[in-house]
Amino acid sequence: MSHPIVEFREVSKSFGTFFANKNLSFAIDPGTIHGLIGENGAGKSTAMKGLFGVHSIDGGQIFIRGKAVVPQGPKHMMGLGVGMVHQHFMLAGSETALDNVIVGEEHVGLFQKIRRGKVLAELQALSAQSGIPFQAWNTRVQDLSVGDQQRLEILKLLYRGSDVFILDEPTAVLTPQEINDLFATLKRLKSAGKTVVLITHKLKEITEVTDAVTVLRRGEVVTTLRTSETNASALAKTMVGRAVSFTYSGPRTDVAPDAKVCVEVKNLRVDDPFDRVKSASFFVKSGEILGFAGVAGNGQSQTFKYLSNPSAFRGRSSGDYKTLEGAALKDQTHADPEQLRHSKIGIAPEDRHHEALVLDFNMNENFFLGQQSDARYQKYGMIQKSSVREAVVRAIHEFDIRPKAPEHPLKKMSGGNQQKLVMARTLDPAPEILYIAQPTRGVDVGSIERIHAEIMKLRNEGKAIILLSSELEELMDLCDRIAVFFDGTLMDTVHRPDFDLWTLGQRLGGSQ
Amino acid sequence: MKDILKSFLGVFIGLGVGLLVVVAVGENPLVVLKAMTGALVSSPYDIGMTLFYTTPLIFTGLAVAIPLRAGLFNIGAEGQLMVGAMAAAVLPQVVSSPFLAVFGAILISGIWGGLIGWLKARRGAHEVIVSILMNFIAVGITSTLANGMFKDPDSQLGETAPVAEVFHSVPFSFFAGAPTGVYTVFALFLPYLLYGVMKRSVWGYQLRAVGLNETAATLYGIERGRVWILAMMAAGAVAGFVGCMEVFGNAHKFRMGFSPEWGFSGIAVALLARGKFSAIVPSALLFGMISKGSLALELETEKMTREYAMVLQGIIILSVTLTHAYKKRAK
Repeated sequence: MSHPIVEFREVSKSFGTFFANKNLSFAIDPGTIHGLIGENGAGKSTAMKGLFGVHSIDGGQIFIRGKAVVPQGPKHMMGLGVGMVHQHFMLAGSETALDNVIVGEEHVGLFQKIRRGKVLAELQALSAQSGIPFQAWNTRVQDLSVGDQQRLEILKLLYRGSDVFILDEPTAVLTPQEINDLFATLKRLKSAGKTVVLITHKLKEITEVTDAVTVLRRGEVVTTLRTSETNASALAKTMVGRAVSFTYSGPRTDVAPDAKVCVEVKNLRVDDPFDRVKSASFFVKSGEILGFAGVAGNGQSQTFKYLSNPSAFRGRSSGDYKTLEGAALKDQTHADPEQLRHSKIGIAPEDRHHEALVLDFNMNENFFLGQQSDARYQKYGMIQKSSVREAVVRAIHEFDIRPKAPEHPLKKMSGGNQQKLVMARTLDPAPEILYIAQPTRGVDVGSIERIHAEIMKLRNEGKAIILLSSELEELMDLCDRIAVFFDGTLMDTVHRPDFDLWTLGQRLGGSQ
Repeated sequence: MKDILKSFLGVFIGLGVGLLVVVAVGENPLVVLKAMTGALVSSPYDIGMTLFYTTPLIFTGLAVAIPLRAGLFNIGAEGQLMVGAMAAAVLPQVVSSPFLAVFGAILISGIWGGLIGWLKARRGAHEVIVSILMNFIAVGITSTLANGMFKDPDSQLGETAPVAEVFHSVPFSFFAGAPTGVYTVFALFLPYLLYGVMKRSVWGYQLRAVGLNETAATLYGIERGRVWILAMMAAGAVAGFVGCMEVFGNAHKFRMGFSPEWGFSGIAVALLARGKFSAIVPSALLFGMISKGSLALELETEKMTREYAMVLQGIIILSVTLTHAYKKRAK
């Protein structure tokens, strides 16, 4: 066997007293697809940042092709043939695909003419040779599909001579079909002799596409295995440290035949240059979960945003929006967040970092967000710090949030724990109607189980829930009905007995 | 803690570079240093004057730092303090109690500041541009009034008639004639008071939330427009204290051009304090000391003038910014 192409030997990295990586040792063989799996905060990204020279490592050594290397930064590592596709693509949206490849090329002198034709020919040859299809070289990146953008990133790295491709959570933004395409791409890279490192917390991806997998837990390597010698549930157990179930297996009460309609939306239209809602009509009854499914940009997020704060859409939305308050439906067409809260609607927005939380605040301050007028938490305009803290301590207990310190800044917490705090806040005071978006995005397996159980508990208690998720499997697991969005239109609502991953995936792509 | 050390380091480097400038002009830096420091504390009067120079900088520093918390950059403190001063000079003709006069003056300067927030909230006008323009309007209005409607008929200058004695704030006798009184004491406490308000009150919370994450704040029921207006009103009110201090504590009337651009120095004070309320007093004190100390330069040296204060301030801000920007490179 030849040298491993990348090898970590006893690599450590600590932040203060916290070990993000502790004596990591593992090797990646050339020409393989190697999975790096672990819960959020397990140290996957820290390890890769160390490999990339984004930060220095405290101890140990990194070897590339058998030679000890002290990574100086991305440029240095690119020079050694190590390339990375980040979760958020490093592309300039307003420039063409071709120019995005040319930007950052160091061979072009300041006053030298850029030879677009030559680069284009080379890229086309590369695309044909590698079997990674890409045609839209002269299209602006912002007009490309996410899948195309990802392929562009990979081709860009190929063009720059990368041998090792590190992909950070590449499937988070893709439809099932696009994920298949991506896996095909990865396999082609492999057959061309390249090495792929796939960072993920999704077990299915590991078992489907990798040759070997390294499992991280709490900053340490638990084990490195051949994928053929393991399976998803065994991996999950190693990853979390206990047995985990992937699908919800708890009770699911039947929706009462006389269940009241709690949310009713008719003929919703929202004008927006990027994400338009042309037509959406739906309802949710008490004790059921309605899922919103759609590929990004097809109106489901915008509909969710409208439901969460109609007042922000004044003048560019039309249609009816009513929710149940007491015994009657109340018009919410122009309601603001404060009024929705008053109508006992709890909201967990889609973008945890930009919409749900203030990352520079601590847990107490974040818990208070949205509760500014709540008499339990403020008196005479002064924050009742001790009551807020008590509530946070309760939430920490109930949701098993870590660390167990209410004064801990949010930005130093893992995504799963941040999301648990968002959930705890959404349920205080107890709502009757819930709008929950992407509850498990970037959340580790152990916490997903817990969050799903919580959502189902609320459903069984008779709350009406709208669930927006980019994970079709999650929607299929939890929802009673799934509303399919395409091109700004709510095309159809599929009932639970008719759930099927493949057909749903196709409908999200617009086919009937 | 580390931040404080960095700031101190920056200040010392800045002073060092500032003294190199002195060498470059051909003066002896030791003489300059001695003249400047000597002028600060050599007598109770000097101490009083140093504090007198510091006080307005605390107010204007806060007038910049408060909106900064809400994500707004207030360049309008100069106009706000002028409006406050004019109001302070005129109100005694209407009200009889000094308390009401002060309250009225800061209310008016507060409204003047709040206008900037209102224009941003209602019309989307950028606060930097609006506040700069409002400075010109403030100069225009106050000089028109000082030369017209409220002009002191017994004076050749553009100034208002003196206010009655009951409105005067009496300086502390300890300072032997320096016009340093209750306003200074108030200014020394105000940043710490506001720090508590920011931390403990719902109002302060909303302000910080909007400053740190406008989207989340809006989605959770905080009206950013209201926050902007109130933040700018608070800024205007605090800047208005400079006007009150000038009219009730120092000149006893509105004089055209009384402010040596305190409003703009306030930006420097707030930036040096890195927007932190707890650092406003030391930051203002440093600038106050430089302003006071540089007055001695014209007497003690041949080539140096009081404008050296501006040079030194600029260098210090640069060096503090640089020490904070400096990060240890990955090993």
